Amino acid sequence: MQKIIKIYSIPFLVLILFFTACKKDYGDLNNATIESLLNNASQSELNNLVSGTESGMRNALNFYLDDVSIIGRETYRFSNSEPRYVLDLLGGNGSTLNGSNFYITSPWAARYSVVKNCNILIQAATNSTLITAAQKNGYIGFAQTIKAYQLLQNLNLTYTNGIRVNVVNPNNLGPFVTYSDGLAAISSLLDSAKTAFSNASVSFTLAGFTGFSDAAGLTQFNRALAARVSLYQSNWQTALTDLNESFFGLNSSFNTGVYHVFGTGSGDQLNPVFIPQNQTGEVRVAHPSFAADIAAGDDRINKATLRTTPASLSGLTSDRDVWVYTSSTAPIAIIRNEELILIYAEANIQLNNLSSAVTALNIIRNGHGMANYSGALTQPALITELLAQRRYSLFFEGHRWIDLRRYNLLNTLPIDRSGDQVWTEFPLPVTE
Amino acid sequence: MRKKILLITGWLLITLIPVLVYGQGKTLTGVVFTGNNVPVQGATVAVINSSQTTASDVNGKFTLSIPENAVIVITAIGYKTQTIKISGNLDLHIKLQEDVSKLDEVVVTGLATSVKRKNLANAVAEISANELNGTAPAQTFDEALDGKISGANINANSGAPGGGVSIKLRGVTSIYGNTQPLYVVDGVYLDNSSTSSGLNAVTLAAGGGSPTSNQDNPSSRIADIRAEDIENIEILKGASAAAIYGSKAAGGVIIINTKRGKQGKTNITLSQDIGFLSPIKLLGVRQFNAQTASSLPGDSATLVQQFLNAQSSGQIYDYEKEIYDHTPLTRNTVLSINGGNDKTSFYFSVAQKDEGGLVQRTGYNNTSVRLNLDHKITDNIKIGISSNYINSSSDRGIFGNDNSGTSIGIALSSTPDFAQLHPDANGNYPNNPFAASNPLQTIALMENNESVNRFITGANLEIILQKSNKSNTKFIGRGGIDFYNLQTTALFPSVLQFEAVDKGQSIQGFTKNLNTNYILSLVNTFTPSDKLSLTTSTGFTQETGDYNNLLDVATQVISAQSNVDQAGALNATQLRTKYLNGGIFIQEEANIINAITLTGGLRFDRSSNNGDVSKYYLYPKAGVSWNLTDMGIVKEGLFESIKLRAAYGQANNVPAYGSKFTSLGVSNIAGNPGLLVNSVEGDAAIKPERQAEFETGVDFSLLKGRLGFELTYYNKNINDFLLLTTPPASSGFAQQWINAGNLTNHGVELGANARPVQSKNVVWNTSVNFWLNRSLVTKLVVPPVQLGSVGGVLLGTYQIEQGKSATQIVGLDGQGVGVLGNAEPQFQMNSYNEITFYHKLSLRFLLHWKEGGQNVDVTSLQNVFGGTSADYDNPSKIPHVPYGVYQLMQVGTSAQQTVETSTYLRLREVGLYYLFDKMPLSYIKSISVGVSLNNYLTITKYKGYDPEVSNFGTGFSQGVDIDPYPSSKEAALHVSFHF
Repeated sequence: MQKIIKIYSIPFLVLILFFTACKKDYGDLNNATIESLLNNASQSELNNLVSGTESGMRNALNFYLDDVSIIGRETYRFSNSEPRYVLDLLGGNGSTLNGSNFYITSPWAARYSVVKNCNILIQAATNSTLITAAQKNGYIGFAQTIKAYQLLQNLNLTYTNGIRVNVVNPNNLGPFVTYSDGLAAISSLLDSAKTAFSNASVSFTLAGFTGFSDAAGLTQFNRALAARVSLYQSNWQTALTDLNESFFGLNSSFNTGVYHVFGTGSGDQLNPVFIPQNQTGEVRVAHPSFAADIAAGDDRINKATLRTTPASLSGLTSDRDVWVYTSSTAPIAIIRNEELILIYAEANIQLNNLSSAVTALNIIRNGHGMANYSGALTQPALITELLAQRRYSLFFEGHRWIDLRRYNLLNTLPIDRSGDQVWTEFPLPVTE
Repeated sequence: MRKKILLITGWLLITLIPVLVYGQGKTLTGVVFTGNNVPVQGATVAVINSSQTTASDVNGKFTLSIPENAVIVITAIGYKTQTIKISGNLDLHIKLQEDVSKLDEVVVTGLATSVKRKNLANAVAEISANELNGTAPAQTFDEALDGKISGANINANSGAPGGGVSIKLRGVTSIYGNTQPLYVVDGVYLDNSSTSSGLNAVTLAAGGGSPTSNQDNPSSRIADIRAEDIENIEILKGASAAAIYGSKAAGGVIIINTKRGKQGKTNITLSQDIGFLSPIKLLGVRQFNAQTASSLPGDSATLVQQFLNAQSSGQIYDYEKEIYDHTPLTRNTVLSINGGNDKTSFYFSVAQKDEGGLVQRTGYNNTSVRLNLDHKITDNIKIGISSNYINSSSDRGIFGNDNSGTSIGIALSSTPDFAQLHPDANGNYPNNPFAASNPLQTIALMENNESVNRFITGANLEIILQKSNKSNTKFIGRGGIDFYNLQTTALFPSVLQFEAVDKGQSIQGFTKNLNTNYILSLVNTFTPSDKLSLTTSTGFTQETGDYNNLLDVATQVISAQSNVDQAGALNATQLRTKYLNGGIFIQEEANIINAITLTGGLRFDRSSNNGDVSKYYLYPKAGVSWNLTDMGIVKEGLFESIKLRAAYGQANNVPAYGSKFTSLGVSNIAGNPGLLVNSVEGDAAIKPERQAEFETGVDFSLLKGRLGFELTYYNKNINDFLLLTTPPASSGFAQQWINAGNLTNHGVELGANARPVQSKNVVWNTSVNFWLNRSLVTKLVVPPVQLGSVGGVLLGTYQIEQGKSATQIVGLDGQGVGVLGNAEPQFQMNSYNEITFYHKLSLRFLLHWKEGGQNVDVTSLQNVFGGTSADYDNPSKIPHVPYGVYQLMQVGTSAQQTVETSTYLRLREVGLYYLFDKMPLSYIKSISVGVSLNNYLTITKYKGYDPEVSNFGTGFSQGVDIDPYPSSKEAALHVSFHF
C-alpha cells in the first residue's frame, strides 16, 4: 500500500506542479486603466483624456437643466414613469428634496467624475516626459478651467451646503467648503489656469470650442467663466475686468461662445434635453408664466412653441413645448456672448453706471425685436429689467433659479398648487 | 511487471490497459417486483467485483451472464438495495422493499466519491425525474425547479417566454458576488449568465448611458437544458456539502445527472405534449365615465369629448385583456432511445418544443439533441461521454421598468379605456395621446429575440489502477466544455411612436462564451477489515471562462431594414471577461463499522479574478454522521434508523471580473476619441468572499421506513462579502468595490417522507418540507448602503446595514425612513404527493406555500400614477377622496403601499396519468396518457400579477415588481408511447 502511494504520488506531484505553474492574470480586457495613464502618458493618451473630459461634461446635463429650470419655474417635465419631476422638485404633495434621489445624485456624480478626469489629466501631464513644458501648461490650463466650471455647477445646486474642492485622493477627500469659499476656490482655480495659458501651446483638439481652441481662445473662455463667478461673488468691478479679457462684445453675435456639441458618431451623445414638439407621455413644457409674462413683440416667445393639445400631469398644465434645442444634435451653451452682455449690464447697474447698462440692455431688447428700454433709470428698476431679460435670453440654459436666489427673490416665483414649495438649494447626496 | 504497468498508467493516466476479459459463466434470468407484485422497470442488476450489469425491462425482467459463485446486487431508485448470492437457482423472483426514506440512495459527496444517504453528514436534497418533469412540466428547466427545493427561495425574473429564474439556496450568500448556485451537468460546469439584449438603450430603465442594465429581463442560460433528459438532481445547498467544489460553490451546487443507457433491450419512447397557456391573473382596468375621464392629465374638455366619442361609437376597450388575455398553444415532442450491451450503452434523445406567449409575437422554442454513451474499454477502464446540442429561441417582448414610456406595462398604465390605439385600414397606428408609446403598435412592430446555439459535451474516464482484496485505486478524470453563441436582436422600426428622436433602432448583440473545466483525481479505497473502510481522494481542478459580447446599437435605421449598417448612426460596445480558477483538493472519508462516517477535506483555490492571482486560499471541510441503529445503540423496532450528523465547510465566491481595476471608459465627442474615468473604483487587493457553513441534524425513519424525517439546522457565515459601495460621489466614483463586512444566515429545514396508504390497490407517497432562513449583517465597514430597487425610499429599497437583516426593505413610513419589510419569507412549505390506483392510474401534485416576505410592488402603483387602476374610483379612508387619489397622497410620505406582502399558496403542479400496458400490438409495450395543470391555482392577496416575481435579474435584489410580462398557467395533455 505504501509503495503504491509513493508510485502514484510522484507523477501526480509533477502534474500538480505543472498545472499550478500556469496561473493567469488577464489584465483589463475592456478598458484602459488609470495606472497606465499615470505612467508617462503619450500626447495621444493625454488628448484622449481631454476629449473624454469635454465629452463627459455633457453627462447628466439634462438633470442639471431640469433641476434648475423646474425649481426656477421656467419649465415642467412631465413623465409618466418618473413622478419626482412634478413631486419632489416642486414640493408637490408635501414631498421634499431627498439626497438619495437622481435629481441631485446623478448630476453631482457626473460633474465630479469630470473633475476626477481633470485631476488625472493634470497628474498624467505632469508625469509625462513626452511633451514640452508649454504643452504641459496647455493641458493643465484646460483641466483646471473645466474643473472650475464643473465645481461651479455643483455649487449652484447645493448652494450653502457647499462642495468639496480638494478631491484628488479618493480615500482622503478634502472638507466641504461654504458657498463663498467655494466660489473663491473656483475663482482661484480659474486664475491659476489663466496663468498656465499665458505660456502654453495647445496640442489637443476640442469640439465645441470653435474659435476658442488655442491658448488665447481658451483664455477668453476662462475669463468668461470668471466673469460669471465674479458676478455670483458680487465683485462687480472684477466682473468687468474679466469681461474685457473674454470674448465679450456688445456688438458681437449673441451666440458667440463655447458649447456642448452633440453627434451621432460612435461613442458620442445626442442632446439629452431634446424632445420633439407635441409629444405625449414624455414631455418638457414651458411654465405657463413664460408666455403670460413675456412682453409683446419679444421674439423669444419662439423658445416655447404652442402645442396642438396642452400637456398636463398632476394638476399642472402647459400649452407650450420647450423649443430651445430644436434637434437631437443641437448644441447647448456653456457660456455665450448674450450672457456676457447681461453680465456687463448687471455689473454696471451695480456700479451705478446706468447709461452703460441701458446701452447693453437695449442691445438685448433690440436683438429680440423690442424697442429701447423706457422705464425708470434707477438701480431697482434696472435690476428688475435685467432679471427679466436674463429670464428670457437664458431660458432653459440653467440660470433663472440662481439669479432669483442671488437677489433673494425666490419668493416671487409662482406657486401652482397649494402646498408647493420653491426650494433654495439641494441637499447633499446621501453618500457624502 | 504489475508495478511497471502501474507506473506507466500513473504517468499517462489515460493509457489503455491491456484488455482483460473474464471467462463467461452461466446465464441468470429473473423478474423484479415491488412488495405489491408490480414489475419494477429500470432496476440495475450487477455482479459484485465484475463489470457485468443489466437493467430490468418494463415487465421487470432481466437476463445476465454471471461467473461461478456470483453475488449480485439489485438497486433501483426508491427501493432498498438487495444483495443475493447465486447458488443453483438461475431464475430469480426478486421482491424489492420500498425505501420511502431513501436510506440506500447513493449521494455524491466529493468530486469523485459518493456515499449512501444513510451515511451522509449533510442534508442533500434530491429531485427525481418524476418530481422534476413528470407531473406538470414547466416551460424551461429552471422554472421546473420552482417549489421543489427545500431551503431555496426561487423567483421568476419575468413571465416572458424562455425562463429566467433566480434561485437562492439557504438565504443570501452574496450581495454583489454570484448569488446563484453552480450547475454541474454530468461533470460539466455550465454557464448560467444572462446577457442583456441592450433594451436599456430604448427603455432607459437604469438611466441613459449604457445600452444594458440588470432590468432588461434576459433569460438565464440554464434554461436551455431539457428537463426530459434529466435522471435526477442533487442539491448541495451550502459550503458544508459543497466545499470541495471550491470557487464557484458558495451559492450551492446543483448536480444534474442525465439519463444513461441501460443494458438490455432497447427502449424507445415517443412523448407528445399539447397544451395551452393563459394568464394567471389580470389586474383589471378602471371604468371611465365622462367625469373621471376629465380628471385625467390634459385638457378636460378634450378628454370628455374623447370619452363621449368613444362611448357613442362603442370604442371602449380593455387593453389589458386585449394584450395579455390570450391562450397560445404549446407543444413538445420528445423521442428517446436507450439501450446497450455489456460493453456499451447509450441514451439518445431528440426534443422539440414550441410555445406561444400570452402576448402576440412572443414565444419560445427549443430543439435539443443529446447522446450519452458509456463504454467499457476493458473491465478496468470505463469511459462515459455526454453531448448535447441545443438551439433555443425566445421572443420576449419589451416589459418591466422603463423611464421612457416604451415598455408595454408602463404604456398601459397611463392609457385609459377610451384611448383609440387600433390601426386604420392601412395598418397605420395612431399615436397614443396618453403615453409615450402605443402598446398595440409596439407589440405589432417590435422584436426582442434571444437565440442560442449551444454545445455541451463532457467526458468521464475511470481507470482501476490497482485492485486487491483490501485496496482499490482508481483514477477518475472528468471534464467538459460548454460553448454557446448567443444572438440578441432588438428591433424598433422608425414608425414607432417613441422613435421620434432615434428614428428607428436596431440593437444586435453577438455573444460567444466558452467554459471549460476538468477534474483529475485519484481515489483509493482501503478496507483493512469489514469494520473499517477508508476512502482517500486527491486531485486538482481547473475552470476557465471566456465571454465576449459585442453589442451594436444602430439608430436612424433605414426603413424596413434591420442590419446595423443600414442606419445613420452606429454605436458599438464590447465586453469581455475571462477567468481561470485552479484548485487542489484532498479528501478522506472513513466508514467505521458501517455506522460512523467521518469526512475531512481541504481545498486550495486561486483565481485570476482575485487581487493576488497567485495566492492560494484554503477551504477546509469536515463531517461526521453517526447511525445509532446500525451501531446497535438503539434497537431496531419502532425506529428503522436514527442518524445524527454534523458538517462544516468553507467555500468562496470569487470577485467579479474586473473588480480589481480602476479603468477609463470611452466617451467620444465629435469624432475625437475620449477617455473618461469609469464610475466604478476597483480594489487592487480584492479578496474572494469566504463562506463558512455549519450544519447539523438528525434523520430517522419509523415503521419499516414508511415514515422518515430529516431535520436540519444550519448556520452560514459569509466573511468579507463583496460590496459595490457608494463612496462619496465627489471622489469621482459613484461606486467602489470593497470587501465590506460579514453576514450570517441561519435556518432550519424539516422534511418528512411518508407512505400513509399502502394497500394492494392504492399507494400514496407524500413528502412535506418546511424551511426558513434568517439573515443578519454582522459587520459593515461602510455606512448603510441602499441598493437594488427603483425609486429609493420613496417606493421601498433594500438597505445593507449592520445589525439588520440583509434582505430588509426600508422606505418612507410616514415619520421618516423605517424598515417596511423583508424579502425573506417567514417560512416556506411544499408537499409533493403521488397516489397510485391499481398500479395504473397515478395522481401527482405539488403544493407550495410561501408565508410572508415582501416585494416592492410598483406595478399596482404605476397604474395609479397613470390613473387607470381598477380600484381608482373606490372609496378610501378619507371621505370623498377616491382610493386612487388617496394612494397618490401616500407617495412621498409613505412607501407602505408598495412594500407588499407576497404570501401565497400555489397548486404548482397537478397531473393525472394512466398507463395502458396490455397492448394488442406486440411492438408497443405500453402507452401512458396524462393531463396536467401547471400553476393553475394561486391563493394570494398580492395585488400584482404574480407574487413570485423578480424583475431586477438574478442578482441580490429580488421581489421587485414593475410591470413585468404577466405570468402564465398551462393546461396540457400528454401521451407517451413506449416501444
